[in-house]
Amino acid sequence: MKRLFALFVKGLVAENPLLMLMIGLCSALAVTTSVENAIGMGLAMTFVIVFAELVISLFRNLIPNSVRIPTFIIVIAAFTTIIDLSMKAYFPELSKAMGVFIPLIVVNCIIMGRVEAFASKEKPVDAVVDALGMGLGYTWVLVGIAAFRELLGNGTLLSAQIMPEAYQPILFFTLPPGGFLVFALFISFNIWLKRVMDRADRAPVKEAA
Amino acid sequence: MKETLKLGLVLAAFAVGACVALALVYAVTGPTIEGHEVKQLELSLKELFPDADSFRALDGDVAPKDPSVKFDQTYEVTRSGSPLGVAVKVRGSSYGGDTTLLVGVGTDRRITGVKVLDIKDTPGLGANAKSPTYFVDKSTKTTFPGQFAGKPLSDPFEVKKDVVAITASTITSKALANMVKQAGASAAEYLERSALGGK
Repeated sequence: MKRLFALFVKGLVAENPLLMLMIGLCSALAVTTSVENAIGMGLAMTFVIVFAELVISLFRNLIPNSVRIPTFIIVIAAFTTIIDLSMKAYFPELSKAMGVFIPLIVVNCIIMGRVEAFASKEKPVDAVVDALGMGLGYTWVLVGIAAFRELLGNGTLLSAQIMPEAYQPILFFTLPPGGFLVFALFISFNIWLKRVMDRADRAPVKEAA
Repeated sequence: MKETLKLGLVLAAFAVGACVALALVYAVTGPTIEGHEVKQLELSLKELFPDADSFRALDGDVAPKDPSVKFDQTYEVTRSGSPLGVAVKVRGSSYGGDTTLLVGVGTDRRITGVKVLDIKDTPGLGANAKSPTYFVDKSTKTTFPGQFAGKPLSDPFEVKKDVVAITASTITSKALANMVKQAGASAAEYLERSALGGK
């Protein structure tokens, strides 16, 4: 149980796909202009990675090594299309706002990376926990960046006016350079967070010794 | 040879599994998605022609004169059989890529209204064309597309002359004004032809 929890937390901070592994960045920067989009993208991506890792982990002994990449892509593409169609049917507004980024989950390096490096070798339970950690690790960063950018760049949060009328939105934050800046701030925050956690982990050991 | 065959079969098995899953999902979501699209379009058309009760798609009868814009679809709008005007779904290139507008043209040779369906321009600048809370004239709460409503087609449709631009987005404003102008000109021509032909 403790091992699974550690596996889950790893995706949130120490091996956060965006802030530590630095993969899957393009879509992350593009959709974080509003919190709504960030939540939608984060959950869609979490859905795909959880099911892709689960299916591939279940069939890991049946997938021949030489055709593993095409097999992974078939599985990932199937789940991406499922979420794309479902969003179009039940959340048409959100799906419109995300545009091409939902279909592009197919080539998201985070999913390909985790499937190749983790799910194709580990047990299904571990794979699902790893996928949840990675997916939520991706989601919290997206929502955090988006909250920052939407509040400063547009004066709103989830499309509700937060800043006073007189506030002049800082457009810079909704534009790509602002995205990079906020992203860099999150990286440094995450490194600090990781140091604090590492210290907390080590402290009791020292006392025991 | 045997090995290759096995690889092919494994891949085929996965592909078949994926296809079956997708077919099921598509069967469930397909009708809903189509319903959304039709409803969306009807709502937009109703916004431009509140009195209308039927829309008929015209195929190729209305064509743009300016090659930089394309007409995705045109509709003849009627109320109990008598024509009210033409709605044109016009696509053109703006600052951030393809932009789609729905332009309504009345039989009185006036724009009945303009609706921005899709725009990829910079958020907070060009994309304000779509924002319902961005006003080119704050005192009357006129949005950028809103200023075209009731505009006679004989106007020049030029930014800074008779069209108020979006602040710091001249390229977007010019592109959109031209799209409205082209849609208006072609639609008016069609209306004249059909009036003469007594259709």
